[in-house]
Amino acid sequence: MTEAILSSVTTVAEKRGNGFWSLAWQRFRDDRVGLVSLVIVAAFLVVVLLSATGLVAGNWNQEVAIHDAPPDLWGLLKPAAPAVVENAMHQEQVTPTAESIEEWKNIEAMLSATVVDPLADTLQALGADHETVAVVKEKRASLPFGGDRWGRDVLSKTIKGSQTSIIVGLSAALLATLLGTVLGALAGYYGGRIDDALNWFYNVFSAIPYLLLILAVAAVLQQRGVTTVILILGLTGWSGVFRLIRAEYIKHRGREYVQAAHAFGVPNRRILFFHILPNVFHVVLVNISILAVGFIKAEVILSYLGFGVKVDEVSWGSMLNDAQGELILGRWWELVAAGGAMALLVTAFSLLTDAMRDAMDPKIQKAS
Amino acid sequence: MVSENASTSPTLFSIERLSVAFLRRRQSPFTAVREVTFTIREDETVALVGESGSGKSVTALAMMGLLPKYNADIASASRVVYQERNLLRNDDEAWRRLRGADMAMIFQEPMTSLNPVFTVGYQMAEVLRLHKGLSAAAAQARCVELLDEVGLPEPRRALARYPSQLSGGQQQRAMIAMALACTPRLLIADEPTTALDVTVQKQIVELLKTLKARHRMSILFISHDLALVGELADRIIVMRRGEIREEGTTETIFSSPRDRYTQALLQCRPRLDEVPSRLPTIDDFMAEVSAEPQKRLESAEPSPTPSSQGERGDSPPLLEVSQLKKSFFKREGLWRRHEIPAVKGASFTLRRGKTLGVVGESGCGKTTLGLTLLRLHRATGGTVRFDGQDVLSLSDEAFMPYRRRMQIVFQNPYASLNPRFTVGQSLLEPILLHRMAVGRSAATTLALDWLQRVGLDREAFDKYPHEFSGGQRQRIALARALTVEPELLVCDEPVSALDVSVQAQILNLLKDLQAQLGVSYLFISHDLAVVRYLCDAVMVMRDGEVVETGDVDSLYRNPQSVYTRQLLEAVPRGRNQGTA
Amino acid sequence: MTAYIIRRLLQMIPTMLGVVLLLFVLFNWVGGDPAYILAGKMSNEAQIANIRHQLGVDQPAYVQIGIFLKQIVTADFGSSWSTNEPVSDILKTRLGPSLTVMAPLMVLGTLLAIALSLVVARLRRSLTDRTVMVACTVGMSVSILVYIIVFQYVFAYRLGWFPVQGWGDSLWTNLTTFAVLPILIGLCVGLAPDLRLYRSFVLDEIDQDYVRTARAKGLSEMRILWIHVLRNASIPIVTCVMSSLPALLVGSFLIERFFSIPGIGREVLLAVERSDFPVIKAIAVYVAFATMFANLAADLIYKAVDPRVELK
Repeated sequence: MTEAILSSVTTVAEKRGNGFWSLAWQRFRDDRVGLVSLVIVAAFLVVVLLSATGLVAGNWNQEVAIHDAPPDLWGLLKPAAPAVVENAMHQEQVTPTAESIEEWKNIEAMLSATVVDPLADTLQALGADHETVAVVKEKRASLPFGGDRWGRDVLSKTIKGSQTSIIVGLSAALLATLLGTVLGALAGYYGGRIDDALNWFYNVFSAIPYLLLILAVAAVLQQRGVTTVILILGLTGWSGVFRLIRAEYIKHRGREYVQAAHAFGVPNRRILFFHILPNVFHVVLVNISILAVGFIKAEVILSYLGFGVKVDEVSWGSMLNDAQGELILGRWWELVAAGGAMALLVTAFSLLTDAMRDAMDPKIQKAS
Repeated sequence: MVSENASTSPTLFSIERLSVAFLRRRQSPFTAVREVTFTIREDETVALVGESGSGKSVTALAMMGLLPKYNADIASASRVVYQERNLLRNDDEAWRRLRGADMAMIFQEPMTSLNPVFTVGYQMAEVLRLHKGLSAAAAQARCVELLDEVGLPEPRRALARYPSQLSGGQQQRAMIAMALACTPRLLIADEPTTALDVTVQKQIVELLKTLKARHRMSILFISHDLALVGELADRIIVMRRGEIREEGTTETIFSSPRDRYTQALLQCRPRLDEVPSRLPTIDDFMAEVSAEPQKRLESAEPSPTPSSQGERGDSPPLLEVSQLKKSFFKREGLWRRHEIPAVKGASFTLRRGKTLGVVGESGCGKTTLGLTLLRLHRATGGTVRFDGQDVLSLSDEAFMPYRRRMQIVFQNPYASLNPRFTVGQSLLEPILLHRMAVGRSAATTLALDWLQRVGLDREAFDKYPHEFSGGQRQRIALARALTVEPELLVCDEPVSALDVSVQAQILNLLKDLQAQLGVSYLFISHDLAVVRYLCDAVMVMRDGEVVETGDVDSLYRNPQSVYTRQLLEAVPRGRNQGTA
Repeated sequence: MTAYIIRRLLQMIPTMLGVVLLLFVLFNWVGGDPAYILAGKMSNEAQIANIRHQLGVDQPAYVQIGIFLKQIVTADFGSSWSTNEPVSDILKTRLGPSLTVMAPLMVLGTLLAIALSLVVARLRRSLTDRTVMVACTVGMSVSILVYIIVFQYVFAYRLGWFPVQGWGDSLWTNLTTFAVLPILIGLCVGLAPDLRLYRSFVLDEIDQDYVRTARAKGLSEMRILWIHVLRNASIPIVTCVMSSLPALLVGSFLIERFFSIPGIGREVLLAVERSDFPVIKAIAVYVAFATMFANLAADLIYKAVDPRVELK
């Protein structure tokens, strides 16, 4: 009942342009680096939306070109006739020291023997499957970003890869932040035994180094796929947020506006979520962003190692795995595409995070 | 009197047409100091007095060359002349040779102004070794002398201490010793006692007077407190909004101030020796300020619960506190919990419609007492009877009606309002929670009514706290507490964070509201003059214990305990009482 | 002080038990029946029952936890499921290579980041500062995988400055030949984030009141930065370094894998691939314990460098 009456109080919020968020936005608009980053991140999101609905890159798994088709960047690069390209590559560009193709094959064989490739078996199986797949009739000789060793379009793969990365990064970040925020708020606000119990839980989780914990969970789960990766990252990654939010709540629960609310007998739940939460929400927001960046990076590593996405899904990590073998043969384009796309997204995301933090910094707020 | 030879001695520093502007993003530069001109003679104490934003500290920092280079812009016509050189033309190296040697500075917060990770001795020796080229041993010996001179007990041991191991007063003494290390010609003291208790303040002021006489140096003393400055300055310069309003000897400033702002500063401040029924406010002196909240307040409709109590202390008791105790616990050793008592058994009675002042220095437990009364802290022992009911033994639910009847206003108006709530939201919440009005529109009407009563416009309703000044925020906090028509209002240092001129307005408002509403105040303050103005009875606290309780007039006129007498003696009186 | 250490050690017990419980739940519950993993494809009922009995998984849960606790205390986790090598031997032999790479990497990385952060902090608000910070962000955004792949390809394959991979028996050869490129890569990857972090620590200090006091004393900017500011900024830096110490033990998974360095990190990856639970469990438990001790040490060092800290 009281809650119902009180909830109407909150609806008046933010109708004028002088609230915290509109001021933060005004500051953000001044930050040119931040704006550019926002545009880039938004562009990635649009591409992800298009690819998720199948409008773009739906055919990433098809062999649309000859194998190892070189990149032409829509005609900007000028690839020679395909057969010649391979020879030329091997002899002039890639192997200035090696004398024959045979020698390179030896090196590659040695490599695949020493570097343990967890995906090797499955990839070979996949390759075998591909042979039975109906062959696309007209294969292109070159592609904008080139093709991989089965002639799949690297551009499409990169787009699909960003879909995986962004979905994993954002979902896991939301999950981890939600967990960390709720637990941190409860621990920081109530203190006492609740704090002791949650703190114990936090200590246990943070005692095991993060990557080791992820790998242990991955080892146990024996399952691959986007959902699994989200769960692994989200369920293990909340501890940093917990610590920060707990500290924020400890700070705020001693503040005088909270004391004033207590003096009126405002219920605890309401103080927790209506009084304090809006005051720490900028910390939450920045953390979602920081975690998303971290999780995008982690997903790439997991998928590279073969603990991430399934073999019939694509991720920048699995692309890098392919690209490693291709680089030795002089086919650099998949490495550049996957590494570059990731660097672009993560850079933009990080700069966006910085700009957000600056715009919402209470210290700067006071000075202005 | 020092002023005799000071008025004839040669000029040491002259500041000519100093203007400082701070560059701002997307905004025109903010001029903090405008065309300020004054001189400091040898062996003279000059005081810069003004409220926050008057530009007094910026002036001092400009004289030391300490303004940040990236955003502070000193006008090219400005000059700071010392030994026939314009210091503003100095390069970094030339500044460095002067600072610490010819001119030294001490600051408001001694705790943060000393480097926390180096010992006091290390930080002092640094100056000596840099400017005098002393050896480590010689520097050490000199440091002991200096610390002894500033009255730090056991100087040899103090050298090895870290700043955090000293009290606030000792830290400031160490700062002074460090500043005096190279016997500078000029010492700039920027609000050196503002962070300190009143008894410590007196000691530091006495120390500065002694040191100045002994070393024949000049002091530029910066303060917001005219009364304090009157105790040690030869000449006073009053600043407001970056400009000098008036300059004169201490005698003339106090006896015949010409400027209306100076007059206002002198009159707005409550004094120990006379208690007006109402404090004059800055608006009474300055015609240029348009807002006149008091008038609006008086025209407000009559209060719903007019006070009908008798004039003298015969009204029924509202609050009876007996042996109230509050301790905090800290872990110590392996298992033991170390008890830190904050309030060691306080007993008192507050009558309806009256004001009880709780006075004491920092750490005496006065704030804890207020919070414990309202069950914002859990009491360790004792009883609190409110209107006859023992409220400490009630369940949270049963205490809920008393949450309406007992309210609180906090010291820091910047922290006591939720920054993410509009003023309207802050006011509506208690109204709706305690059903002071039925329905949203009725609640809004009530909230607007209260805004008007504390002297704010209707437009304030939709604004956020950061759009208001400190004084206005304190009015909002007051309105919020009053929306539930409490019978007891705990005021925890409600004017300490405010400028003098704003203090008077809030104090008057509190008096008016009490007359209208019949609310009782528990007024917690470190400021004896303010308490004298506002309260009917006083309780003096020290180290968690009640030292003395009594009627205001008799306690101030005839204090029974030594401590109360010390406190009263330490309050600055505002006149130069001559240097010993 | 002693009381504090003892209390902290006592407080560690519930956390350690929590770690044990977490790993137990993970590997004995979520992980499914290890007998099926062990027995592999050619399994019959009798074999599985036999394996279950050997592992003790047919016992009730509390007995199994008991077994796990006993394994931890005696440091005897049996042998690896895939290679039959005793787990304790694996831990012992893999620790050296990890330390060989990580110890120099951590020392060099920390010193470099501190020095650079002071330089950059001095240039605050200048174009250089902004450029360096953006460059750091870009550097941090490139996947560590790309660094390793490209560095290995360019410096080892193409230019031949370093061996592509491998590991020797003598510490000296390892340090001077095999570990050089891995350390270089580690420095490149680690510098940007450390620099950003340490710079923020320095900037937090540079606006403090005591810096103003130091200027008012006439000290030079160099002295203020390298003595007064650095000493204060070193407090959070030390805490950071201490809390990253357990990483010494784990090594860098990826670097060890790419360069075939027989360290703990590579072992973990192999174990995860082979579902070699005893190895992962043992490594996780001991690294977790090491982390707790490192945290305690960090707090004690914190006290040593910061006289304000009271140990509670």
